[in-house]
Amino acid sequence: MALKDFAAEMDRCSVCSYCKWIPFDQMKSWRFAKNCPSVAYYNFNSYSARGRYAVARSLLNEQSEYSDTVRNIVHTCMTCGACDVSCKVCRYNLEPLEMVRELKFSLVEAEQVLDQHEALIASLNQEHNILHKPKSERGAWADGLDVARLPSEKAEILFHAGCRLSYDEDLQKTAVSAVQLLKSMGVDVGILGEKEMCCGGRVYSMGYRDEFNHFADLNMKVWANAGVKTVVTACADCYHAFKRLYPPLGSQVEVLHMVEFIERLIQQGKLRFRSEVPMTVTYHDPCHLGRQGEPYVPWNGVEKKIKGQIIVYEPNKPRYNGAWGVYDPPRNILRSIPGVKLVEMERIREYSWCCGAGGGVREAYPEFSAWTAAERIAEAKATGAEALVSACPWCERNFMDSISATGAGLQVYDVLALVEKAL
Amino acid sequence: MQEKKAQLIAIVGAAGVVDDPQVDESFLLDHEARLSMEPHFLVRPGNVEEVQEIVQWANQTLTPLVPVSSGGPHLRGDSLPTAPESVLVDLSGMKQILKIDRRNRLALIQPGVTYSQLQPELQKEGLRVVTPLLPRANKSVIASLLEREPVMSPKYQWNLLEPLRSLEIVWGNGDKLYSGSGVFRGEKEEDWQKGMVPLLGSGPGQLDFYKFVSAARGSMGIVTWASVKCEVYSESRKLFFVPAEKLDDLIDFTYQLLKFRFGDELFILNNTGLAYVLGGTAEEIESLKNVLPAWTVIVGITGGQILAREKISAQENDIQDTARQFELKLMSEIRDCHSAELLEILLKPSREPYWKLRYKGGAQEIFFLTTLDRTPGYVDTMFTAASRHQYPAEDIGIYLQPVHQGTGCHCEFILPFRRANGHESGRLQDLFSNAALSLFRQGAYFSRPYGTWADMVYNADAGTLMAMQKVKDIFDPNHVMNPGKLCF
Amino acid sequence: MTLPKHVYQAFEDVVGAVNISDDPAVLDSYRYSLAHTAIHLGPFYNTYTPRGAAVLLPGSAKEVQAIVKLCNKYRIKFKASSTFWSAQGYPSEEDTIQLDMRRMDRILELDEKNMFAVVEPGVIGATLQAEAMKVGLNTHIPGSGCSCSVLASATSYFGSGPSNLYGGCYYDNLLGLEWVMPTGEILRTGSVNSTGSWFCGEGPGPSMKGVARGFLGAKGSMGVFTKCAIKLFAWPGPKTLPVEGVIPAYKVSLPETFRAYTLAFPSWKAWADAAHLIWDTGIGYLAHRQFNMFGRDLKFAMVKILTDPTKTLGDLEEVLADPEVQRITKQSERDFQIILVGMTARDIAWQDAALDEILNRTDGWKVEAMNVPEIHDWVLLYLIRLGHKNLNLVFSGGYDGAFGLLGAMDYGAAHAEEAAQFKKTWEKRGAIVDAGGDCMMGPIGGQGGGGTGLWENFTCFDPHDRESVEGTLEFFDACTKLGLEKGWGVGMEKWNSVARGSDGRTTPKAERDRMHLSAPQPSVFRYQHKIREAFNPNDLGDAYYETLEDE
Ligand code: SF4
Ligand code: SF4
Repeated sequence: MALKDFAAEMDRCSVCSYCKWIPFDQMKSWRFAKNCPSVAYYNFNSYSARGRYAVARSLLNEQSEYSDTVRNIVHTCMTCGACDVSCKVCRYNLEPLEMVRELKFSLVEAEQVLDQHEALIASLNQEHNILHKPKSERGAWADGLDVARLPSEKAEILFHAGCRLSYDEDLQKTAVSAVQLLKSMGVDVGILGEKEMCCGGRVYSMGYRDEFNHFADLNMKVWANAGVKTVVTACADCYHAFKRLYPPLGSQVEVLHMVEFIERLIQQGKLRFRSEVPMTVTYHDPCHLGRQGEPYVPWNGVEKKIKGQIIVYEPNKPRYNGAWGVYDPPRNILRSIPGVKLVEMERIREYSWCCGAGGGVREAYPEFSAWTAAERIAEAKATGAEALVSACPWCERNFMDSISATGAGLQVYDVLALVEKAL
Repeated sequence: MQEKKAQLIAIVGAAGVVDDPQVDESFLLDHEARLSMEPHFLVRPGNVEEVQEIVQWANQTLTPLVPVSSGGPHLRGDSLPTAPESVLVDLSGMKQILKIDRRNRLALIQPGVTYSQLQPELQKEGLRVVTPLLPRANKSVIASLLEREPVMSPKYQWNLLEPLRSLEIVWGNGDKLYSGSGVFRGEKEEDWQKGMVPLLGSGPGQLDFYKFVSAARGSMGIVTWASVKCEVYSESRKLFFVPAEKLDDLIDFTYQLLKFRFGDELFILNNTGLAYVLGGTAEEIESLKNVLPAWTVIVGITGGQILAREKISAQENDIQDTARQFELKLMSEIRDCHSAELLEILLKPSREPYWKLRYKGGAQEIFFLTTLDRTPGYVDTMFTAASRHQYPAEDIGIYLQPVHQGTGCHCEFILPFRRANGHESGRLQDLFSNAALSLFRQGAYFSRPYGTWADMVYNADAGTLMAMQKVKDIFDPNHVMNPGKLCF
Repeated sequence: MTLPKHVYQAFEDVVGAVNISDDPAVLDSYRYSLAHTAIHLGPFYNTYTPRGAAVLLPGSAKEVQAIVKLCNKYRIKFKASSTFWSAQGYPSEEDTIQLDMRRMDRILELDEKNMFAVVEPGVIGATLQAEAMKVGLNTHIPGSGCSCSVLASATSYFGSGPSNLYGGCYYDNLLGLEWVMPTGEILRTGSVNSTGSWFCGEGPGPSMKGVARGFLGAKGSMGVFTKCAIKLFAWPGPKTLPVEGVIPAYKVSLPETFRAYTLAFPSWKAWADAAHLIWDTGIGYLAHRQFNMFGRDLKFAMVKILTDPTKTLGDLEEVLADPEVQRITKQSERDFQIILVGMTARDIAWQDAALDEILNRTDGWKVEAMNVPEIHDWVLLYLIRLGHKNLNLVFSGGYDGAFGLLGAMDYGAAHAEEAAQFKKTWEKRGAIVDAGGDCMMGPIGGQGGGGTGLWENFTCFDPHDRESVEGTLEFFDACTKLGLEKGWGVGMEKWNSVARGSDGRTTPKAERDRMHLSAPQPSVFRYQHKIREAFNPNDLGDAYYETLEDE
């Protein structure tokens, strides 16, 4: 796809602005009614999906040129996909999320990039991670853990830690617990350790399609060599990359997020919680696990018209609107932990508010990113919860940073941390 | 003088022009007792063309015109000339009911049409018009609606001007305009059949012309017909009293009924107010005052087109439950007064003499808009002012009428006095001005600023004043329409 | 044009650097494509409203006032919009300053007892409704849906919708307003000036609210409204809507006192009789001919798709082929939706019985297929929140309403079939969606609750397809011609042609004058001209405010 392939959508976007709000049917208050962080923060139309359609059309028709403003408009999009969900409450022939991504790709292709992103790409290319850390230290989190190291050793299931869990010292414990839990359940699990590489998902959301393709390729090769059939991850970004972005490039491995795996173990009666965890918590749906976590459905078709002017597709096109994302597994886990009381925020599931770490925004627009996180923290606090639980280290990192900057007084946990406490 | 007279005769004919009209008793009830100017003539136009010609003539001769549609008594001085050499334009002769359209529930009437004339005609067609509390029998329906006089049934008031809809207006510049959808005035019967009817009040276009003539006291133009939205007439009606010793105890109950739009007629009277409504003579009033409950909510239920009895029974039970919830009682009788008797009274215009005048022959009224929850505060203020001016608090009739489906409340203090008694009149005038000022300072909204209230209100609202002057200059550039009444 | 540096700076000083932009790309996201949606002119392919000179995001009435004063000083036209949904909210003159009001989005007051709210321009129907429900109240939401600004619909446009019947249309519900007039002075109407409270919008004396809006508002061409008070009405339901279901098939299960019915009738006469009886009897909370917007032939199939999250538009033909769907489609030809809400159990029982009696008298029926729980609860949510306006565009992204018969029930009912059949012949030509001719939708009710209606014949087309756009334009031209022949007047498909032309710019004056002179009362526009001169002496709006100079 290229930007010009979205020209029809640019005309068919009805400027209804649904993409600025959570689905109206779900609105419970004035305070937590918005869904798109970028337009909520920057306010100009151009920072919403509808505005990005318009900006894209303007660029495509050469009515405007690249500028600092244009770069900001494009790169402040979190690619959180909230717009996409709201748009598709009514529309079946628009793909705003794909379009905003395409707009990023086109800017990157035209070298309309940000220094912060460039630095991160350099790290990726050199160190195979986007955190500017040496690749040799990637597996250090698992030192001392009795776990198979692929590809030299064999295992049925690969646990992919991802950049954040591999290097972030505050969060590494999630990866450790994941592996320990899997092992304790008798799962034949292995890791790639220092051979693990970035999934590429995050640079994809910054517009670096080529780099993403390159790393997807590398990862798929490594998996093939190691004979990996199933990948489990505790990172929503990695999950999304493997589950949704790799299959069109040929990946056929089964992809599971830890929450799915754990839920399965609970359902099978293999995992029982013994310890009480007396805590009121609320759960934050990571964009890439929730609304963007729907399984990939292959499609290769064309647009056609029926009844004169109704736009449909031949064959019928799969619909990604957040209906079938991974929402219930983490909630079911939390509900099965004795003592945990789960209270919901107003914006949940497919219409969740983004943590603020997406799309390269955390790296390039720290203030905006922190504001976005603070908005979510305010929402979490409004539920009366003591802790904000999530299932993605990127979300958790962003929340933790915001809380330490603002002193918001809320704990942040990964679902796995509570699981560990409850064992 | 003679020349002017001849010109007027040329317009309306000799019979239509009255020299030196006696500004009769009824006009002298002006509530601020402002000195009036003797009008030169009274003219009686018979149709819109004549009205237009009179207004054009007034513009040529710069003669002030004072439109009058209702018969007296005029309590509020709006029809009292205050400029020299005025001509009264008496519209009471234009009293045709031009059309009653059952299907669209519209009546098209001329300004001289009174409630007592209209109501029986509507009833024949299965309709009724919601009315103010006991209007004078000779009160012009159009005048009452233009004055934004509150009606007893707030639930039908979708906006403050309801049930007024389209108008034919002759502006102060002599120009004629149909407001709302008045351009569809159903001149042909088939238009009525097709639904090309004057049923909208707003507009047309981007101005709300009828709002400029509302509460304008004839200072913008003359309305020569209006369409009025009607309600379905139903034989099945019931009325109830909900008494209490303290006004505060009735407020939340009334809010609840307003919110659910239960009840048709819905208003509150104090014992004195209710006595004025019920009593036929001063003596009767005197004894009623003493026995009636301090405050009473009056709530009527009307059946509708379909399942009228079921509706009444459901609402009666619901209102009863609501009353209980607020520890109140829904009653059909209080102290020998049966609600059916009151209903009889309310369904008709006031008996003679006019109910506010029955007790002492004269009356002043202070009325304004507020919200229901604020009314107890204003009642206190009024009583304090009365005692300061040695006016007997027990004579103050109080009428609280929720308006616009409950967003606001008309609050009215009726202050009877003996006009013949100069001392009493003088004291009352002092009370009247001081109380009005205190109430105003306390946040009372004098939305219809009669007489001296105009200065008080417009001095505090420069924005509106400026806008009004601009509008006035457009529709009545020579300021011939009822000068001296508002802020121009 | 880019604003001269010092002028830009002057504006920037008012709103701050982050709240002003003249970047061409930003400005282009504030242009409207005349190739689609309800613009009531055109549609015109590849045509846009002019690019603004700058976009400003004011944060307060004071800032708006300062901006307007600067506009007067430098003689720059300005236009404010809150949600930028309708073409009317976009300038029709070059070099206009655009005000995006979204930052002013507070609900300033919610008076539970006296049932009104005071809102700023950025408050939309959905946010106000969500807050009102918490205190047992509800707000009217116009046909344009809950995504639209409450203030904009109430002050500056028509403001009619499904809750006209009970809740009152915005015309009726608008109380006081705060208006930064085109000169920069501020006018507040009604009680607020002398009392500080917004409960009454009229007066003192003659109501100057009449300058601000009439039947239609000034559509952003006469200053900027910065606050308004809106009357609310009872919501005897839960504090938040307990929404369930998988997107997009959201639904809500409400207490027994809430009922959603689709009623259908053997003839238009019976349809209108029922609408009258509903009005006369005083039942109903919301009433709209809603789903017919998908077209007489497609509506039930669309309801099936929308209430099933596994289905997409691509399943339409298959669903249509189902004989059961065809049977129900046939059964609901002349239909409308009504929601009954009982304030109490007795109230709903009585209303329900009365509705049955009305159906009895008019030979009407309830479309039972619309009463199965998953559809019933979806309809309930749909009509209460009105958060699916974008379904107007579901087919291909372009729609506008034709005819727009507005007035007494009998007026629309008398012509609905003819207008529908006329459209049907055009549908066969292929430029517009073939939906069954009758795509008439609109409220059962208007000013003062019931008694009037609006019939808007939805016409859907593909804004990206030149042939579709141009074919639609041809159809609309034909509608206008038919409307004039039949004495219905110019239909809503052309309502805005008087303000804007085929190039997206102001209609030439001679053309405007011709149209105004042929109106039933040209003097209306002459008075509007005088008002414009008095209130907007520097003429800083656009021709959406319709004026005619004296001969
Ligand atoms: S992207 Fe979708 S939701 Fe946003 S304005 Fe366009 S059509 Fe509406
Ligand atoms: S992806 Fe997220 S940030 Fe980007 S436009 Fe959509 S809602 Fe806004």
